[in-house]
Amino acid sequence: MKMSPEFAKAQANMQPGVITSDGFLGDDTRPIVEIIAADEETMGRFGIDFDDAIERMRYLMQQGRGGLGEPVTVDDAWIVQVYEARGFLASPFEDGIYRKVNAQVTVKTEGSDAPQILFSELSLHLMEKYHFLQGKGSSFRIEPERLKAVLYPAGKKAN
Amino acid sequence: MQETPMIVQALVAPLSVAGISAVLGALISITDKIVNNYGDLVLDINSGKKKIDIKGGAPLLQTLAESGIFVPSACGGRGSCGACKVKVITDIGPHLPTETPYLEPDEIEQNVRLSCQIKCKENLELEIPESLFNVKQYAGVIERITDVTHDIKEVYVKLPDGAETSFVCGQYGQLEVPPYDKVKTPTQRAYSMSSAPSDKNHLEFLVRLVPGGIVTTYVHEHLAEGQKINVIGPFGDFNVKDTGAPMICVAGGSGMAPFKSIFNHMIETGEIESREVWYFFGARTKKDMFYLDWLYELDKKYDKFHFVPALSEPQEDDEWTGPTGLITEVLDGYLKEKIDRSQPLEGYLCGSPGMLDACMAVMRKNDMTEDRIYFDKFA
Repeated sequence: MKMSPEFAKAQANMQPGVITSDGFLGDDTRPIVEIIAADEETMGRFGIDFDDAIERMRYLMQQGRGGLGEPVTVDDAWIVQVYEARGFLASPFEDGIYRKVNAQVTVKTEGSDAPQILFSELSLHLMEKYHFLQGKGSSFRIEPERLKAVLYPAGKKAN
Repeated sequence: MQETPMIVQALVAPLSVAGISAVLGALISITDKIVNNYGDLVLDINSGKKKIDIKGGAPLLQTLAESGIFVPSACGGRGSCGACKVKVITDIGPHLPTETPYLEPDEIEQNVRLSCQIKCKENLELEIPESLFNVKQYAGVIERITDVTHDIKEVYVKLPDGAETSFVCGQYGQLEVPPYDKVKTPTQRAYSMSSAPSDKNHLEFLVRLVPGGIVTTYVHEHLAEGQKINVIGPFGDFNVKDTGAPMICVAGGSGMAPFKSIFNHMIETGEIESREVWYFFGARTKKDMFYLDWLYELDKKYDKFHFVPALSEPQEDDEWTGPTGLITEVLDGYLKEKIDRSQPLEGYLCGSPGMLDACMAVMRKNDMTEDRIYFDKFA
């Protein structure tokens, strides 16, 4: 699959030490167009619509912000903790800057191995505009299977 | 004619590409050294108060650090925190697109620049706060790491023999962790000192694990007692004002750090017996609370010290009998009903930007004026 100059530049910006110390690709050596294509296929297989998932994630992040840095229970289904740090992160596609706000969303269950996802404002932008879920092994990789387990737990629906 | 073996044919193309790349790389490196050689330059800081001879070509932030002047930077010079602002008197051209998002219009007008983004290409005249001359880099050793909650560690650093720190309660230092896993360069992040200034041979920090955070992950998963660590500081202008006014202090999580330093200092100076202090500390459940015994003891021992811990979501087995709700709600109730507002109050805050904004809104609503609310907007 061919990389446009825009995507080639973005891939260079995603390397460790360019925008963030550990980059956006983890151990993944594939061109980002391949990562995106594979993830679009997987999201489709799990029946997850990108727009719907993003809407739910934004809602959970917004609710989590109400915890003022402490974890907060949302809709009796999720525990959300939002971390804010000073400053901004540039998009590797050079199309904007985003506040350093991370949300950790955990399904509220009795067990200790509750499904969990971690995403930032920048993650949401990359997911919404490019369907880019980050490379495998990246701290902010949004794994479709885990996304489904967290956003669509049995019997729960985000308000 | 003898045929070239298949394996040699297969290697010709990649080896040729690698060879050409190596030659091009060397050429670029040589060209860079020639074209970007700006020679020996001089930095004139604060109208001649300091003059430093430097080699040109490197970013100003790095050049200053190499000369022993440490401008604060929460991102280690990646242009993502906007902290390393320096006023450049010399005209060095328009602001870069990587700078403008972090600068206010009046800062742009006064030629404030992000020192990590501009390179030293000519002699430069700068203005920086003189407090930065006091900032030092210490090669410390981790003397003790203590888990104070499930996600907060107390990190106690011994300074090198003979080195002494001099800071004001409320200031912060930058911890630098070495490259690890996928992180290829040293990384710095800012943390408030939790030790008292009188402990001159040590610095203490409270580090809360931030998922995906490079420095906090290192501290929680790799840092060990006996290990060396670089600490740079002190930075920041968050401090207790010498007015005697009642203090309304609010924190959550590792925002406890400056207040631990402040209260211990007030005990040492005796100020804790003469100045009214209200300390509001918020957490979700009891397992997120810490230093409770110490703070309850202060509350009991000193008439003017009042500790108000609150849980936003107490669990059944917490057996919590104290205030519940968000710390802002509890603060609002106390300001309305329990705190004497007959004299002007001072607000002291430490927490995430969202927490600070919410606390300031409550304080303003209760007639506290913004010019008497102090904070350092670091998470």
